[in-house]
Amino acid sequence: MWSWIPSNGSLIWQLTWENAKLGVLPALYGLVISLPLGVIAARWRWFYPPVLTVVNILYAIPSLALFIALIPAFGLTDTTVSIALTVFSLCVILPNVVAGLRGVPAAVTQAATAMGYGAFRRLIAVELPLAVPVILAGLRVGVVASISLASVGQLIGVSSLGYLFIDGLQRSFPTEIYVGLVLVIALALVCDLILVAVRRALTPWAVS
Amino acid sequence: MITFEAVTKRYPDGTLAVDALDLTVPDGKTMVLVGPSGCGKTTSLRMINRLVEPTQGAIFLDGTDVKDRNPSQLRRGIGYVIQQSGLFPHRTVEDNIATVPVLNGWPRRKARARARELLTLVGLDQDLARRYPHQLSGGQQQRVGVARALAADPPVLLMDEPFSAVDPVVRASLQDQLLALQAELRKTIVLVTHDIEEAIKVGDLVALFRPHGKLAQVAPPEQLLAAPADDYVAGFVGFDRGIRRLSFLSTDALVLDASPVLPADATVAKALATSQPWICVTDADRRPSGWAAREVLAAAAGDTPLGQLRAEPIGHPFTVGTDSLRAALDAAVLSPAGQAIGVDGDGRVLGLATFDQLRAAIQAADAPAGDRMEARRP
Repeated sequence: MWSWIPSNGSLIWQLTWENAKLGVLPALYGLVISLPLGVIAARWRWFYPPVLTVVNILYAIPSLALFIALIPAFGLTDTTVSIALTVFSLCVILPNVVAGLRGVPAAVTQAATAMGYGAFRRLIAVELPLAVPVILAGLRVGVVASISLASVGQLIGVSSLGYLFIDGLQRSFPTEIYVGLVLVIALALVCDLILVAVRRALTPWAVS
Repeated sequence: MITFEAVTKRYPDGTLAVDALDLTVPDGKTMVLVGPSGCGKTTSLRMINRLVEPTQGAIFLDGTDVKDRNPSQLRRGIGYVIQQSGLFPHRTVEDNIATVPVLNGWPRRKARARARELLTLVGLDQDLARRYPHQLSGGQQQRVGVARALAADPPVLLMDEPFSAVDPVVRASLQDQLLALQAELRKTIVLVTHDIEEAIKVGDLVALFRPHGKLAQVAPPEQLLAAPADDYVAGFVGFDRGIRRLSFLSTDALVLDASPVLPADATVAKALATSQPWICVTDADRRPSGWAAREVLAAAAGDTPLGQLRAEPIGHPFTVGTDSLRAALDAAVLSPAGQAIGVDGDGRVLGLATFDQLRAAIQAADAPAGDRMEARRP
């Protein structure tokens, strides 16, 4: 029964690649949206509580329900899954962006201002770099969750490693299910390790 | 020159932080703002580089109202040092120091070269240039903070409790270094502290604040100690101001007696002939090696060299002309003979001063108040 693996090598590889794209890209979109929102929320405190409430409600929606809600607008497509996963990623990354920016020591921001940094330059040169460890911690969670949720997209016909679960179930063929499971976990692990390496490269100054 | 003209700061909650402050900081001088917490000293400092805007009044920097300057441009021309150093954790020491030159558009290479010059200036090793702030001790971080403030060679330096977060030994060495730097650079410095000792040590002028932003007295430190304006100032300055004031009096005019000073190869008979209660014994280089008591002399044979007798330790001598009368008095108090040993710059004995001679010198220094000696610092 393990001979199923080599004979379906190209299918497995294709599904893995699709699952990776479908998981990682929305997490990156989530990051891109979280950054400006987080900056605004960190600067104007009144902005954050309502945003956080909305974000938490969105995060509570079951992924399948969100896919279904988006189908009328976007059909049974990658776009539907990507939008849903972007929303979920945003939900875990945004709080980290806010926490990261708020965690910059007051003495440091004050010193930056007193050295002659304008607000925008200070944000780019001082605050965001110092928030990187916390932001990347959020991105790691977002990427791992998103890779795992991407497989659910198979339920609305969007190709991913989820195919192996559904096909394996329908054919009562556990090997296929195990392979899918191991690959989803391995994929998440690899992406997570890449992000750890990225963090190390970006923050040689961090106390570790 | 920095001038405060009737500057008032009232916070939105109604707290009066600074109340109609008039103050002038002359060029090249260190003005220390000192007072209890909540007296408005830090607020006053922060209004100079517009981190805080006054409610009323104006602050002039070299004749220009600071509110007419672009805040970022203004701040790049004013060095700023704060308590926890405020170094950027994500930048190496050299890049921290190079901050303002880089903001001013210097090429990075040139800015880093400048940073290394400054490391040397503040007494740090070049090897530290590539380290990150968390790899340095608190004292080293504070020195880097000073180097960063000086990087663009600003004429004005603002220091907000710069040394309060380090232990007393490190603090003293940072203060000494500030004095040495200031002797060389002659910046216009405004330094905030709650520590009156620090104010007296580093200030050319001390502005003592009352609670809620009223000035109690502005004076050179020796005058603050000698003539406090009122009970508040006297109380803040502390009860032993009489002794502390001696730090500002020179030992130049002190009358020294060289007759009880004898070399180690002189004989007991010669020592007894001086009829002094204590003999200060010196080595071949005329440096003090110990005190010989009269009882010890009397018990020894007349031809014994003094160097072979049991001697009492000398405590510490004072350097004539360099050390203050406070150091001389301390030397006398700690000496078993009750006399201070005055030495020259090379440590050779010039003579001894008794309590009577010290008192005479103090009175003489007080009499012509106008031309009092400046024997402030090492």
